[in-house]
Amino acid sequence: MTFDHWLLIGVLALGTYSLRLAGLIGGQAILRNAKLKVLLDDLPGCLIVALVATSLADAAPLTWIAAAFALGIAIVTNNVVITMALGFAAMFAMRYFGVGG
Amino acid sequence: MKQGFYGILPFAIGAAAYGFAFGILAAQTGYPWWGVALMSFSAHAGASQIVAVERFAVDGLVIGSALAGIALNLRYLGIIASLGGILKNVPLWQKLIAIHITGDESWALTMAKNARDPTIGAPFLMGSGLTLIVTWTVSTALGALLGQTMPDLASYGLGFAFTAAFIAMARAMWHGPQNMVPWVATFLITVLLVKLGVESAYAILLGSLAGVAVAALLRQRKTKKGEEMP
Repeated sequence: MTFDHWLLIGVLALGTYSLRLAGLIGGQAILRNAKLKVLLDDLPGCLIVALVATSLADAAPLTWIAAAFALGIAIVTNNVVITMALGFAAMFAMRYFGVGG
Repeated sequence: MKQGFYGILPFAIGAAAYGFAFGILAAQTGYPWWGVALMSFSAHAGASQIVAVERFAVDGLVIGSALAGIALNLRYLGIIASLGGILKNVPLWQKLIAIHITGDESWALTMAKNARDPTIGAPFLMGSGLTLIVTWTVSTALGALLGQTMPDLASYGLGFAFTAAFIAMARAMWHGPQNMVPWVATFLITVLLVKLGVESAYAILLGSLAGVAVAALLRQRKTKKGEEMP
């Protein structure tokens, strides 16, 4: 494990615990702040969509097809593990059989 | 506490499957099984760990990757804040442990049970949280152990498993049609920024903030319309 691997664990652990601690200390003030509540409600969804967008922006058409397939699976199952498994299986199969770019 | 331990088990099994899959992916990005266990136990942050490890694999930037993961965990400000009443009479050292071991599932279950029966409180939260963090740590480590023995899946598009996971997470966060415009705006702006050559870590941040701004604007317009109605 490199220094960067260690550092990622350290920063992530520190950051996530700090958020929890801020929630404990800030308590009711956080819940009463309407603007903060809106940010907390909207940001996670937008962040995930942005992550998907960066993964697809420069990707080959094959990846977009697999993403559309995964989206279909996600809509039907609403299950992360099944979507990951079937999404990767679709990608694996297309690459293995030389489909697309 | 025992009640919490048993009550959360069905949810813990679901988290274990998810953790196992994450462990496989993390191992393929260079983490040994014990490193994955260490991350899971110290960060205890499901989806945030996936986001951080995926970004790390793509960009190799530690701070940017960690920030993306931490930003996803912002909801814990609200989650922990909402536990104020339940943790009120608990000693400080227990509070400091409770806030770390609390996960989405144990929080939701404790709040639901507490609403029906106010005697269910901190011990239930602690019991269910302990089960969750142990299950999460063990399942991710087991996944990583298996992942280390697997052939190099990256050449077969392993990175796409992360994308698929994000797609599924977005599906789980979908609250209804009100998300459509902000999410489409986020997607298009982020793609545009990447195409313009913006570093993906910044594109994610700017794209998602743009989406949040669009959501706020739409909400403001809706409120105004509501006020104008006779």
